[in-house]
Amino acid sequence: MNTIKKFINRRECTSIIFLIALYVIVGLINPTFIQSDNIMLCLNGATVYTICAIGMAFVIFTGEIDASIGATLGLSAAVVATMVRDGKPFTLTVLVAVCIGLVIGLINGFGVAVLKVPSIIMTIGINSIVRGISYVYTGGAWVENVPKNFKELSQQGIAGLSWMYIGTIIIMIAIYMFLAKTKRGRYFQAVGDNEDGATHLGLPVTGTHLISFVICAVCASLASVVFVSRIGFVTPTSGNGYEMKAIAACVIGGISLSGGIGNMVGATFGALIMASISRILVFLGFSSNYDNTITGILLITIVVFDAVMQHRNTEKARRERLSARTETVAESKVVGGNM
Amino acid sequence: MGARIMLENISNGKTIKHEDTLLSVHDIRKSFARNQVLKGINLDVSEGEVLALIGGNGAGKSTLMKIIMCIYRQDTGDIYVGGKKVTSSKPLDAMELGMYLVPQEPMLFPNMSVEENIIVGFSEKPGELHKRLVDLLKQLGWEMDLSRKALTLSIAEQQLVELLRGLLRNAKLLILDEPTSALTFNEVESLFKIINDLKKKNIGIIYITHRLEEVFEIATNVAIMRDGIITLNGPVKDFTREMLVQGLLPPDVKENKQAFKSKLPDYKNLKPIFSLKDFSGYGFKNICFDVYPGEILGLAGVVGAGRTELATTIFGKDSVLGGKAYLGMEDITGMSTAKVIENGINYVPEDRRQDGIFKIGDIALNTSCGSLKKLGKFFMNFKVEKQFTDKYINDLHIKVTGQDQLIGSLSGGNQQKVVIARILATNPKLIILDEPTRGIDASARGDVYTIINKLKDQGFSVLLISSDMEEIVQLSDRVITMFQGCINHTFQKADINQNNLMSAAFGVYEDKKEGAKI
Repeated sequence: MNTIKKFINRRECTSIIFLIALYVIVGLINPTFIQSDNIMLCLNGATVYTICAIGMAFVIFTGEIDASIGATLGLSAAVVATMVRDGKPFTLTVLVAVCIGLVIGLINGFGVAVLKVPSIIMTIGINSIVRGISYVYTGGAWVENVPKNFKELSQQGIAGLSWMYIGTIIIMIAIYMFLAKTKRGRYFQAVGDNEDGATHLGLPVTGTHLISFVICAVCASLASVVFVSRIGFVTPTSGNGYEMKAIAACVIGGISLSGGIGNMVGATFGALIMASISRILVFLGFSSNYDNTITGILLITIVVFDAVMQHRNTEKARRERLSARTETVAESKVVGGNM
Repeated sequence: MGARIMLENISNGKTIKHEDTLLSVHDIRKSFARNQVLKGINLDVSEGEVLALIGGNGAGKSTLMKIIMCIYRQDTGDIYVGGKKVTSSKPLDAMELGMYLVPQEPMLFPNMSVEENIIVGFSEKPGELHKRLVDLLKQLGWEMDLSRKALTLSIAEQQLVELLRGLLRNAKLLILDEPTSALTFNEVESLFKIINDLKKKNIGIIYITHRLEEVFEIATNVAIMRDGIITLNGPVKDFTREMLVQGLLPPDVKENKQAFKSKLPDYKNLKPIFSLKDFSGYGFKNICFDVYPGEILGLAGVVGAGRTELATTIFGKDSVLGGKAYLGMEDITGMSTAKVIENGINYVPEDRRQDGIFKIGDIALNTSCGSLKKLGKFFMNFKVEKQFTDKYINDLHIKVTGQDQLIGSLSGGNQQKVVIARILATNPKLIILDEPTRGIDASARGDVYTIINKLKDQGFSVLLISSDMEEIVQLSDRVITMFQGCINHTFQKADINQNNLMSAAFGVYEDKKEGAKI
């Protein structure tokens, strides 16, 4: 009984319940939606979002935000697509993609952690620079003719579930364990939870911020490999809006934008919800054009609720502290005012 | 622990070393820009000693603690820990040497459990740490649910977590920065019990406090800091409260020094312009006082006594918990800030940079922004703005190159004058000045005092909040003192002197006439 209660109280639980409820309701309206084929398609379709959300979770954990992963994914995807089209080896392609992520992540991290630029400004700026680079790189044209064998990588799997999604889940579990069980993993949470407190204990605050941005950008560039394999072509605007999806996935998965709360499991379920929305719309007979609006509404609802609670808690704590001062006198009756 | 005299002779800097000396601070000096904050500090702490460190605002306590914790580096002087000289400049090394600072506001990670909060930042395995932590708790006989989230802890419990962080690091010396400032009476009792436990374990403690009665209750030794020097240091039993208060006062106090000869208001024929009846809020309780027209009422007290909270609550920035505030006949209790200003109260905030000025605005903007309604219905009338800004620049002798000079480029004193000008432009009946001369140099200070006196002569009422007793003594017609959120004394003109005010602010004033007990 206690374990169940503990489980329900966990933040990621809300997203799991929400996901199940969503599937059941849609399934009641249109039973084809909950057939295993379709569910597998939903899961496979969530691979790119999931990888992005895992990276984003690191940044949000530390109390920052990364609005540049859309462009990072786009540029990296364009490079990956040209390389595989030109017959470059797979490993080299992935390596180059990772390097792109690494460089962008280091720039973001340097700006935010060392130069103390607000992360939203820094990463929006980098987003537009990187997007510009990908226009220059592709000459504004689509990158097509991705070889068939590369496209098939995302189709292979077991029982309808692609290897790529399975791999993503395994990596996610590994990262979850790293964050929950190791001392380095704790730093991410600690820095986001109370940066002054982390400094006070001598934790490497700057380094933790820097690494979180690097991980986030590298995740986006790894996601681009899956992206190219699944979609098969890259346009100059590929990846546009993915930063919003990843942020929404994290927030819906119970990761607080003020930092320090949540975990990877939540982010994974959040990404699945994000990926399912456009499919659900189609199954319910709506246009998938509503996709972004619904994502936005979900995101804003949760963020507003979070902000209100946060404000109430800090205000309550401040007032309790102040009230404690007067209580001392009331109880001990040290002196009487002689007004 | 037998009584030991730690410092025989402070003046020539020689200390008597004991084998159990944990920390030894030698002739530490530190300046920020041209401002010398520490002027040669000598201090020793031994095993099992509780050294109470007392000092007013800006005495240099926090700077000294930060130097001990290797957060700042001293200009000259040495620190020895366990006989070895400290050369590091990293807080982490200070912790490794066995020192731990418990900050005034505990710095926990609210979303982590108690155990995670304590063991984060260690290099050992969590399993070993858990065992050590459980052993430590058993040894001390403390009880604590390690799985609770830190955000559910009371301040006292949070402090306990901070103490455990230090003890688990095998700290030999704990620095407690005003640990009781946010504790209730019962919590203070249990904290003292804990300190006694630690004393028995031979841990040295530096206990920073504003409360003199605590010194006699918990400390073995006491040191008083004033203006970057230690004025008094030795075993507690050698001192009385009066001696401690003397240590806090400047050596050459000319009592009742009146720089400004101004006549007292004729209280008999006046009706109060502003009164508080049983006014309560967050940080203060049951406040009653009247302010009369043309009077400067001083409000003295130490940091955390609730003065600023009282002022901001009157000003509509926080909720009122009980009681009434009247301005003239009008009940202004719980009004919004805009309404309070409209009714005729204005407030000069304590933190000028944060709350007082619009840094990147010019003088004209900073002067007129409080009374924009008078400057036209939709379009601003810049001619009027210019005229009245000029008027205040002349009246208050604000030194500027022109109205378009940015306020951020002015000195602190001139910035403060602009803030006062803005407030006068709203035509208030009562002006609340919160620490009006903080961070202002001596000559500008004189100017601000002249302005305050002029205001009084013009019939404005002034509520002057200050931690600077000299300032209060010089300016006030009457003084009330606040202590732990309540008003504990009222002084008429004849009784206003630094000695009385300091005693009352620290809660140890004895009214000789009435023989009231404390």
